[in-house]
Amino acid sequence: MELFFQQVLNGLTLGSIYGLVALGLTLVYGILHVPNFAHGALYMVGAYVSYITMVDFGVNYWVAMLLAAVAVAVLAVLCERLVFNPLRDAPPIHDKIAAIGIMLFLEALVQMQWGAEFRRMPTPYTEILDIAGMTIPAQRVLIIAGAFSLMAVLHLFLKKTMTGSTIVAMAQNREGAFLVGIDANRVAMMTFAISGALAAVGATLFAPINLVYPAMGHLLIMKAFVIIILGGMGSIPGAIVGGLIIGFAEAFGGFYISTDYKDIIAFALLVVILSIKPTGLFSKGVH
Amino acid sequence: MLQLNNVEARYGSFKALEQVSMSVAQGELVVLLGANGAGKSTLFNTISGLIKPSAGTITLDGTDVTGLKPSGLVQSGVVQCPEGRKLFPEMSVLKNLMLGAYVHRRDKAAIKKTLEEILALFPILDEKKDQSAGSLSGGQQQMVAIGRAMMGRPKLLLLDEPSLGLAPLVVKQMFETIKGINEQGTTVLLAEQNAFAALKIAHRAYVIENGRLVMEGDKDAMLGNEAIRKAYIGA
Ligand SMILES: Nc1ncnc2c1ncn2[C@@H]1O[C@H](COP(=O)(O)OP(=O)(O)OP(=O)(O)O)[C@@H](O)[C@H]1O
Ligand SMILES: [Mg+2]
Repeated sequence: MELFFQQVLNGLTLGSIYGLVALGLTLVYGILHVPNFAHGALYMVGAYVSYITMVDFGVNYWVAMLLAAVAVAVLAVLCERLVFNPLRDAPPIHDKIAAIGIMLFLEALVQMQWGAEFRRMPTPYTEILDIAGMTIPAQRVLIIAGAFSLMAVLHLFLKKTMTGSTIVAMAQNREGAFLVGIDANRVAMMTFAISGALAAVGATLFAPINLVYPAMGHLLIMKAFVIIILGGMGSIPGAIVGGLIIGFAEAFGGFYISTDYKDIIAFALLVVILSIKPTGLFSKGVH
Repeated sequence: MLQLNNVEARYGSFKALEQVSMSVAQGELVVLLGANGAGKSTLFNTISGLIKPSAGTITLDGTDVTGLKPSGLVQSGVVQCPEGRKLFPEMSVLKNLMLGAYVHRRDKAAIKKTLEEILALFPILDEKKDQSAGSLSGGQQQMVAIGRAMMGRPKLLLLDEPSLGLAPLVVKQMFETIKGINEQGTTVLLAEQNAFAALKIAHRAYVIENGRLVMEGDKDAMLGNEAIRKAYIGA
């Protein structure tokens, strides 16, 4: 039973990070219909900004997270302005190629500057908590609480504020949004900024129980795509629930089947769910 | 207040509007008549800034607004209630209406007042305000679309076939409502298939054919015109 709850905890940890990364991806997709393959690279840059500011400049963990969020938000907005916006009227394949270009560029840049070696991100939360017979590393508690709080804040922002509603409006009916006077550029920049900040916070939360290296975003971005396809492209609840499904499937699959197959589980689930419900779990409206 | 000079618009190489010159004066209700595919929606979308004219100029109260972004035009007081409604289907009726006032978002008191007026105009929307817009009937959605446009407090309201798909009795109410909106001081440009009903509430009308304006006249001249009666009224 303890082992079972240990897996629940693992599932929640993975799922909350996957959800956070997938949310950023699905927001951008919902507005611009750009599958941002560079999102994993933004996540990676977020981890490096946190790592460098903490290790080289001795900045506090939370301040580093904030700096990473701001830096990656700015970087994401630059990608939108310099790359995706000029391609707005180009055939969709151009966006995809450009996104892959950004990804390769960022990875090469980071590797040139800091090398390809694996690094371990420090965290002030190294205690192991002992709750009801379970050993729970404090960082995991932080990941789960942090990711879900951020999702809740994002949810309130999108639902309750006029500015947040413009993002949802643009996703539900682009021309309708124009006709009430919503500015497409403003919404696009805001969406990229949010998506970048989510990736950076996700990276700073998750990296201490993982490793930091230039290709760290690869597997994650692939899983995030699986999640948003599962959840329905552009669907926000879909990204969160999809993230949890994949997180739990990996935790339990890794434990009861074999950790060797852990990373395949996400893709196997994709095949199974799409063959039952080809439009994804939550797809409706947005498209 | 609105003036178009030799406006041309294209879809690729296809010229959907050619040498369109027209004007709408302050306080007028002007009807645009035209068969399917004549270019009414294209003209509206060009005025709204969704389509950039390939030639010609558009001025609003004497200022050149040619090529302005849609958001800029809404800010200047030109609001369109589009064909096909273009609502935010998964948002509540209330949220749709509130977003209509997006450009006035800092003016909370005025928004509240406009909202009350609109809910008084369409009492059914008050009842359904917490339902998602997509779950309403076609006619109710049309009311949301008009209400949303009104929330922008337009100086010039563009209505693209508001009676589309509505029951005859509702159409009658719809025209009454439009007349009322105009009498309250909003200038209206109305595209309609329902020529007779539209002309009855109008001051003036234009006829568009294959992207060109082919006729212009005041209400009585239009209603009395033999060609118009044949082509658009069917009597
Ligand atoms: N997005 C588009 N791409 C290419 N051609 C278009 C597009 N939209 C409209 N057209 C063409 O432009 C012409 C005018 O279309 P428009 O929609 O303005 O007509 P309309 O007068 O509004 O017709 P209706 O009464 O059916 O709404 C038509 O020939 C149509 O085929
Ligand atoms: Mg039309």
